[in-house]
This record gives sequence, C-alpha cells and structure tokens, in this order.
Amino acid sequence: MEQVLQGTGVVTGIGIATVKIVSTDLTGDLKKYGAGTAAEEAGKFADALQAAGAELVQLKEAALASGQQNQADIMDAHYAMINDPGLAANIQAKIEQGAAAPQAALAAAEEYAALFDSMEDAYMRERAADVRDIGGRLARLLVGSGQVEYGPEPVVLCAREIEPSLAASMPEDKVQGIILGLGSTTSHTVIIAKARSIPAVTGLGDAINHIAAGTTVIVDGYNGHVILDPTAEHLSDYRKKLEAEAVRKQQDSQMAALPAMTKNGKRVQLAANVGSPADMEAARKQGAEGVGLFRSEFLFLGREVPPNEEEQFAAYKAVAEQCEKQLCVVRTMDIGGDKPLRYLNISKEENPFLGWRAIRISLDRPELFMTQLKAILRAGAFGNVAIMLPMIISAAEIAAAKQAVEQAKAELIKEGKAFDAAMPVGIMIETPAAAVTARELAGVCDFFSIGTNDLVQYTLAVDRGNPAVSPLYSHFHPAVLRLIDGVVKAGHEQGIWVGMCGEMAGDPLAVPLLTAMGFDELSMSAPAIPRVKEVIRRFDDEQMEQVLKKALTLKDPGAIRGLMTEFVGQ
Amino acid sequence: MTKIELVLTNAAGLHARPAAQFVQKASSYASKVTLLAGTKTADAKSILAIMGLGLGQGTKIELTADGPDETACLAGLQALVESNFGEG
Repeated sequence: MEQVLQGTGVVTGIGIATVKIVSTDLTGDLKKYGAGTAAEEAGKFADALQAAGAELVQLKEAALASGQQNQADIMDAHYAMINDPGLAANIQAKIEQGAAAPQAALAAAEEYAALFDSMEDAYMRERAADVRDIGGRLARLLVGSGQVEYGPEPVVLCAREIEPSLAASMPEDKVQGIILGLGSTTSHTVIIAKARSIPAVTGLGDAINHIAAGTTVIVDGYNGHVILDPTAEHLSDYRKKLEAEAVRKQQDSQMAALPAMTKNGKRVQLAANVGSPADMEAARKQGAEGVGLFRSEFLFLGREVPPNEEEQFAAYKAVAEQCEKQLCVVRTMDIGGDKPLRYLNISKEENPFLGWRAIRISLDRPELFMTQLKAILRAGAFGNVAIMLPMIISAAEIAAAKQAVEQAKAELIKEGKAFDAAMPVGIMIETPAAAVTARELAGVCDFFSIGTNDLVQYTLAVDRGNPAVSPLYSHFHPAVLRLIDGVVKAGHEQGIWVGMCGEMAGDPLAVPLLTAMGFDELSMSAPAIPRVKEVIRRFDDEQMEQVLKKALTLKDPGAIRGLMTEFVGQ
Repeated sequence: MTKIELVLTNAAGLHARPAAQFVQKASSYASKVTLLAGTKTADAKSILAIMGLGLGQGTKIELTADGPDETACLAGLQALVESNFGEG
C-alpha cells in the first residue's frame, strides 16, 4: 500500500528506483562476528588501524581538494586519534582480557568519549562525537560491513546517515536518490549528492527504520516527499516528471554554451554566487561567466579561530583560477549577531540586522580585515579578482576601507608577496542609504552590486523570516524597483558597472525589467542561470523597455508580478 | 632529561586542530615527552590525553623530554607553540 513520508528536500530532482538499505547500525554484524584467539584479534586490530588511517588520509585529501580546510583539519585530528598510543594500548588490553577486537574498539572509544562528555567546555564536549566516530570506524572495518555492493539495477540509498567515504564512492548511474533519517543540509553526503545532482531528502526521522529493502520508492527532492510503494497513478505521474526533467536538463546544458544576449545583441553577464571552491563545478556546468559574489563568510563560520591569511588565500585563489579570465568578486566577511562567532565577541543584540555586522566589524577589527584583504589581493595575482564591501551606508566607510586596502598592499610589498596592485574595489548596495546616495558613492568606488535580499528587507521594513509579515516582502514593490532603477542610472552616469547579486537576479520574472534597466551583470545561484538566460534571449530590447515603463507606473507589487507573469509566461 | 616551560598564547589553546599538530610534532621525535599542566600530566604523543586536559588560552605548561633527541624535540615543540600553531 502506498505510504508518503515527509522530509526536507535538500537536492532537487526526481528519483525512482528500489530501496537499498545502507546499514550504519553494527549490532547485527557484531553478533555475527566470529572472534578468534587474542593474538588473532590483535592482528585484525592492527590491520584495521592501518585501513582507518588510510581512509582518513583519503578523506582529508578530498576535503583539501574541494577547499574545505575545516573538514581537512577534523580529518587530521581523527587521524591523530587513530594513532593515539593510549587508545591503542587500551584496546590491546581489552583484547588480551578476552574481548573481540570490534567490541574492544567501541568500548575503549566510549571510555574516552565519556571523559569528554563530562567536560565543562561545550566545544570539548562535542569532541566526544569525534572519539565515538573513531571507535565506530574501527569496528566497521573489523566486522567488514559498511561497503555497499551495487547490482545492475538502479537504487535509492536509504539510511539514518551515510558516511562521507561511502557517499564519495556512489556510482552516479546507479544511485537515483538518497533518503536519510538525520536532517542536515550541510553534511558531506548532501554536498556530494548536490555536486552530482542526485535527488535527496533528509530529516525523515525514525520512519527510515521501517522501510524495507527492495520497496519501490519515489524521491521528490522538490517538496521533500518520499513515496513508498506508489500507486500506478503516482508512478506514471512521476515518470512523466522525470522525463520532462531529463528534457530540461538537456536544454539547460545546450543553453550553457550560448551567450546571454537579447535579440538585439545586448549582452548581460550572468555570473554565479558561490560559498566555496566546491561550488565552482556546478557554476561551470551551468555556463556561469565568472563569480559575481563569493560569500567569504563561509570560511569564517563553524570554527574556533578566524581563518589565517594562507587558508583564505588558498580558497580565493582556487575560485579565481577556476574563473579563468572572468571576474571573481570576493565580498569581504558579511557576519553579524545572527551568526555569532566566539572569536568575534559579538554581544547579544536586540536587532542583529541593524547591529554590528559586515563592514562595521571589519573596520573595527583591523587585524581581521587586514588578513582578509591581503589574502584577496594575493589571489588577484592568479585571476581577475575584485573586492566588494558589504553593508555600506556612507562614502566615509568606503574611504576607510580603501585606506585599509592601501595598507594591505604596502605590507605585501614589504613581505615580497605577489598581488594585484590595481584590484577594483566595489560596494554592495543593500541599504536604502546607499541606494539613495548612489551618485556620490559611485564617484568613490569601481562598481556596484545590488544585494536585493537586504535592500528589500530594509526598504520595506519587513523580516521575511517572520510569517506574520512575510507576505509583504516582494522585490516587485514599486519602492524597490525605483531605488534599483536609480542606482543603475547613478552608476552608469559615473561610468562604473552595475550588477545585482540578490535572489531577484535569479528570478526569471524580474529579468526583463533588470535587462531593460541596463544591468551589466546578474549574479545568482548556478542552477538559476539557464532559465534566466533563456528569458534574456527570448525578447528584444524594445519589448523589455516597454514592459519596464509599464511596470514603473503600477502601484502594487502584486500587479507588477502579474504583469511580469503574463509577459514572461509561466 | 630536559625540561621547558611554555604558555599557550594561541586563541584556541590545545583544542582539536592545534592538539593534532602538537601530537604530530611530538611523535616525530624518538624521545618520550610528557606534558604537565597544573597537577595533571599527559603523554605528549597522545591526542586524547592532551585534549582530555582541556587546556585553553593562557595555560602554562611544562614539557619534559627524555631520550636521544630530547633537546631538538623540545625546541621543535616550543617553536610550534610560539608560532601560535599558525593561527592568523
């Protein structure tokens, strides 16, 4: 009988196949495990240590190759734990007392984990999970489970969680989808699934334990539905969707090679928003022309100390190089009280979005800012890099930041490091203050990029995360459209280029308006690029100018959206 | 047997990443190395023992090395601690 489970769709797409259970629970395997003599167990343990060490080295290298320094550091720590003489001696002692090797490994790890569990420091308490992970890794290798055998038929992988090493070995042609009990959008398995476009749904909870192997399942990564034993009707519906998706993917990949150009030949540069070098592959696939927004704050999150110059330099350089000749815009750290970091010492704020954040922190903490600027300037020696300043409200802030840039250059010269001495410095236009004074600001910087998410929120005084007011949030509000239109004009009058890197840039309904306003560049998440490009290519300049003129006369966001829906067609 | 006293000045103290670096460095020498912090001691080649001490910024530690390369070993560990483990 059909059963529908609701989870969170984390990788969009449709997958239809039979369920394959990936077991992370070792209980069954542990029971079946035939223990040998103490000497035999000690030998097996020594082999498992070797194998675990090799796995961790591999995982570390994979993390480094995708620019995930943090993950690489964790793998390093795990590697040191695997080689810990105390842990090994503890396990050896248990084996000599007659324990089977896998149980000995689990029990010894648990002893250390209990020690960490009891510590006062929250960070250290979390390390208990690392030690348990090590124990689990050894036990899994000892009982020989955890390797997934793929047959000729395609499958949907089903598990509470999937270890990154297993995810890394998934054959793309066999795995049609992934469903997980645990809920995370940032786990390694999800990142790997995203990079390979394998539809995935997470957060299914305990329901995952009741799914039988071999069940036919539909994974809907768009709405988070997992349909077990689907009815014939559902199956045929979803088969059609799957076919339509295949056709669209085909069209998208053809679109990737075409230029973003109106019928009259007016070009708009379509760039990608990225958070790490790992996002560059998807960007390239979708035909992105460079990076319009590298969110450098991802390098700063989830860690105890800020990333040093070398680490930042490696990440910026990796993205700059992958942009080849195209522009790579690195936005300096945009963090505030909503994402508190221990090393920033941001005290609790009533209004983090109106508080100490982004450029305000950078200007108050010169040591942090200097490290970041030096790393960005150095990356400029390997590509076409620009610096972008977030949350600007005045020309004085730009002047102060530019002074810091000059100081960073002077330090780099002293240190004899290569950098781009002529690197452009632009600003985000995301406050009404910056939008209204755009003409003055354009005179003192090299480019504008409009951040619509914040600009809409600040202009309309609407927090879109608040369901009571979120219906009021719209980038089609006349106030927003007029502000944006004014910013483009002000920038062009002063001879600088103007781009947009908020969600509006990736909205196909907004694209004819933005193109008519004269945007030089639109930057968006990579999957949005083909659709936006298709819209730009469909119209001539006259048509888009007409619809912009009409839109600017309308008074209501709903009416403007309606006009655009009719114009673009959904 | 040789001894030195050091202060952990890096922001994170001997948390996971610096602890891993510390243990890696200590393990590259033949000498036996012991870390003393307050009244607690740990084998400097055991990351779990070191992390178990939960040493934060500003902690004073004493390192004792005993073996053929004890002087080089302490010099190496001192350099690592004083470089703040490469934190920026």
